[in-house]
Amino acid sequence: MASTATGASAANPSKKTAATEDREVVFSVRHLWKVFGPKADRIPDDASVTGLSAQELREQTGCTAAVRDVSFDVHKGEVFVVMGLSGSGKSTLVRCLTRLIEPTSGDLEMDGEDVRAMDRGTLRELRRRRASMVFQHFGLLPHRSVVDNVAYGLEIQGMGKSERRERANEMVEKVGLGGLEKRRPGQLSGGQQQRVGLARALAVDPEVLLFDEPFSALDPLIRRDMQEEVVRLHREEGRTMVFITHDLAEALRLGDRIALMRDGEIVQLGTPEEIVGSPADDYVRDFVRDVPREQVLTVRKAMRPVQDGEADQGPALGPDTLISDAIEAVARSGGAARVVDDGRCLGIVDHACLLNVVARVDHRPEEVAA
Amino acid sequence: MSTATPVSPRGTLGVDTPKGPAQILANRRGLAKLLLLAVVAAVVVPLLSAKYGAAWPHALTVDVSGPLDKTSSWIIDNRDSHWLFVYFLGHLSNAVVLSVRGVYLLLLALGWTGVTAGVTLLAWRVAGWRIALTALLSFVVSGLLGMWVPTMQTLALMVVAVVVSVAVGALLGLAAGLSDRLFRILRPVLDTMQVLPAFAYLLPVVLVFGIGVPAALLATVIYAAPPMARLTALGLRGADAGVLEASASLGATGRQRLLTARLPLARKELLLGVNQTIMMALSMAVIASVIGAAGLGDRVYQALASVDVGAALAAAIPIVLLAIVMDRTTAAAGEKIGADTSAAGPAFLRGWRAWTGVAVVTAALALLGRLSGSLVWPTGWAVDIAHPVNDFKEWMVNHLYSGVPVVGGTADWAAHFTNWVLNPLRDGLTALPWYGTLLLVAALAWLIGTWRTALTAVLAMAAIGVLGVWKPSMNTLSQVLAALVVTLVLGFAIGILAAGSKRLEAILRPVLDVMQTMPQFVYLIPVVALFAVGRAPAAAAAVVYALPAVIRITTQGLRQVDPAAMESARSLGATRWQILRQVQLPLARPALLLAVNQGVVLVLAVVIIGGLVGGGALGYDVVTGLATGDLGLGLVAGVAIVCLGLMLDRVTQPTERRTTGKGA
Repeated sequence: MASTATGASAANPSKKTAATEDREVVFSVRHLWKVFGPKADRIPDDASVTGLSAQELREQTGCTAAVRDVSFDVHKGEVFVVMGLSGSGKSTLVRCLTRLIEPTSGDLEMDGEDVRAMDRGTLRELRRRRASMVFQHFGLLPHRSVVDNVAYGLEIQGMGKSERRERANEMVEKVGLGGLEKRRPGQLSGGQQQRVGLARALAVDPEVLLFDEPFSALDPLIRRDMQEEVVRLHREEGRTMVFITHDLAEALRLGDRIALMRDGEIVQLGTPEEIVGSPADDYVRDFVRDVPREQVLTVRKAMRPVQDGEADQGPALGPDTLISDAIEAVARSGGAARVVDDGRCLGIVDHACLLNVVARVDHRPEEVAA
Repeated sequence: MSTATPVSPRGTLGVDTPKGPAQILANRRGLAKLLLLAVVAAVVVPLLSAKYGAAWPHALTVDVSGPLDKTSSWIIDNRDSHWLFVYFLGHLSNAVVLSVRGVYLLLLALGWTGVTAGVTLLAWRVAGWRIALTALLSFVVSGLLGMWVPTMQTLALMVVAVVVSVAVGALLGLAAGLSDRLFRILRPVLDTMQVLPAFAYLLPVVLVFGIGVPAALLATVIYAAPPMARLTALGLRGADAGVLEASASLGATGRQRLLTARLPLARKELLLGVNQTIMMALSMAVIASVIGAAGLGDRVYQALASVDVGAALAAAIPIVLLAIVMDRTTAAAGEKIGADTSAAGPAFLRGWRAWTGVAVVTAALALLGRLSGSLVWPTGWAVDIAHPVNDFKEWMVNHLYSGVPVVGGTADWAAHFTNWVLNPLRDGLTALPWYGTLLLVAALAWLIGTWRTALTAVLAMAAIGVLGVWKPSMNTLSQVLAALVVTLVLGFAIGILAAGSKRLEAILRPVLDVMQTMPQFVYLIPVVALFAVGRAPAAAAAVVYALPAVIRITTQGLRQVDPAAMESARSLGATRWQILRQVQLPLARPALLLAVNQGVVLVLAVVIIGGLVGGGALGYDVVTGLATGDLGLGLVAGVAIVCLGLMLDRVTQPTERRTTGKGA
């Protein structure tokens, strides 16, 4: 897929700052369950059924566990992608974050506050000002103009008419819909409607933006535009985003970290490189099979140990250089390239190393690199 | 529905594998149902016929007229003393009288200039100049026909009735839209109320309020509020879940969600509800003349009583025009929603300025009329059409009623229809053993619907017997069946033709539009002119009334057949007739069943009203009950009408409930 290739490399610069471990935690999710069905609240505590597969669970208890024992942290400023096929529970998970769907059990904190313990008023405040959501099918009010749709969140907050209109106009401008303020949603294309949805979410200046498969209903080309729009917004504002998608290319393109879900569980959580480079199990491996690895993996994954006399020869590459870029450098120079970090030579990439990555020959020299 | 497959089901079944009887039954559920019923019949019928005989057994009837008469006289005795009347119903009735009177006086005070200008400008603002022109024309015509005062009386009753109906209906609908439990309770009630003939509502209100304006208004409200309630509830429930979720995700409170998302999203349904309520209110306000509503309906009623076709027509024309204006105005308001309203003419024609303009012009014209001293339409300007119409009718009586060469006369047709169709059918139904009728009803309802609908239908039918009105009910039923067959034959034929020809449909559409907006009552006039009085004219009126709905549903059903299925049939070389028979009709089966159901409901409504023009049977009992003050008789007939309506609706009820309203 060509889009994956260019997309991943375009998004990559922002990922260089992806050393997120020591950053502030926005959402902290621990052992979260959402079970639908009769006596759903008993399932998470019942050790005899928690180990069952989705189908066995349904047969034995009549319940469906949409989210099963999920734990993760979303750090401030990162794009956290939850990715999975339909029915994997990702949309339920994102709705649990603001309790649009009430979780069955588990702990859920936002900025250290216990979200599950919040009363209705506090929860409403959270939804009004701190986390706003963009939906797959937009959820626009068909009887209102673009600008009034964008201002809707502010109206619910109780902001005066002229003030919220002014702010909404700014947002309309920001998402590139200037001139269409007076249109109705029905008169806009799908892409434009989703821009309205995005502007509506941005208008309340939330701490976190939640995206629920926002671009799945759009044509491929428009989807690309919108993805770039999100990348741009993230680069400009650095707002924390939780992004749900079933599209792997989109996940790799946008995500600083990706949580891959299957049957309600997180199968693997890691950076795009980790997911593609070291899949946790066969399911993930199968999933990422068609990804052009040279567009996602870096030379860190491909290099071999330095041998005598190589430490000062050939072009120098940073450790976060993509394999595709390294191929170009190596091809141009005609010999091996050095991987250099802070003046220290970490390893060497030559034709063979690079070809191994592209050809998926998993002969891995990581031990040395570490 | 297994038979709805375009390919003939017999072709795919049972060619290669021989089957046991059990398998055949499992495949053809209709046959299994019938077999089961046959077994039941084989056991029960001999028992019942041995014990009771063929006519509805006396032992199984309950005489309700005694208690009913007692109730009625108790109410009459206590109307001035009992607390229920003094503190509640009395106030209610006074409020109704006062408000109707108030609106009437206001209309009179505006004068004909004010009212005409006001309504015309209102129609222009809401629906554009075409409808405004129609409005202007209708008021001028009603003035010219000398019907100004009755028109104002009807209008006054309508205004109050519509306001109350919309308010009551919207509140009920709001409650049912927000509460699941209430919706489950209300829905079957509202659905059933919508299939009952208007006459069924008259007696109970008369029992409580006596004949007069309060009873008329209440009957109108009871008849007209259900569509509003239904559509409000459906509109609120049908709101796009995605939008509601988005609203919740932004932190909206329940109230904010209702006001900013739910209600606005349901605007189309709400306006459709107002439209249907208005049309049904008009229909009932006219019929309610039987229980003391003055106005146009009363003129028609009086004229019909003396078979004065000319006078009836003079009153009916304003009714029809009013109906068209009201329907088009509210329908246009509904269509305007969702359309882009931003660019429409210069600034002084938009928003509050335009409305102020409307008010000012109306006031000015009202003042002008007042100053020139003509508040009521000047009598000098009236045109008498009653005499020419009656002369024409006389001519028809003399020349068309009988003795026309080859085709015979209209009265002859009516007589033949009565002798050759209605009488045998009635006698047959009456002679059929009662348990046979019940079994037939059960079989039909079960085949088309579910065992629940079958049970309801049988119970309703049995109730008729228990009430002791089996015979008149069979009489009414015979008229309904005869009219229904004619309606369906004509309706399906025209519907199929219209579905095949765009031109025919274009010609038919405006005709059907007008016919569907006319109140039931009006249909009695032309048939009386053509066929005199009797059962045949009542049936003819029923046919004409029900025909538009049947044609329309048939055409739409055939038009909506998947074009891919038609195309594949054509690519296989099917002829037009083969496509119609093997693809279109089977695929349009749900629509055709709906057409039958609507046809039954509409035919029954008019057959009952036909009691006013010699249709006899249950409708006549209601009228006689009202006229002679024998409320017991009328009430029993009313209940029997309800049961008959229920039975007919359930028997023809496809498994899915219809979503369209009655006629309109």
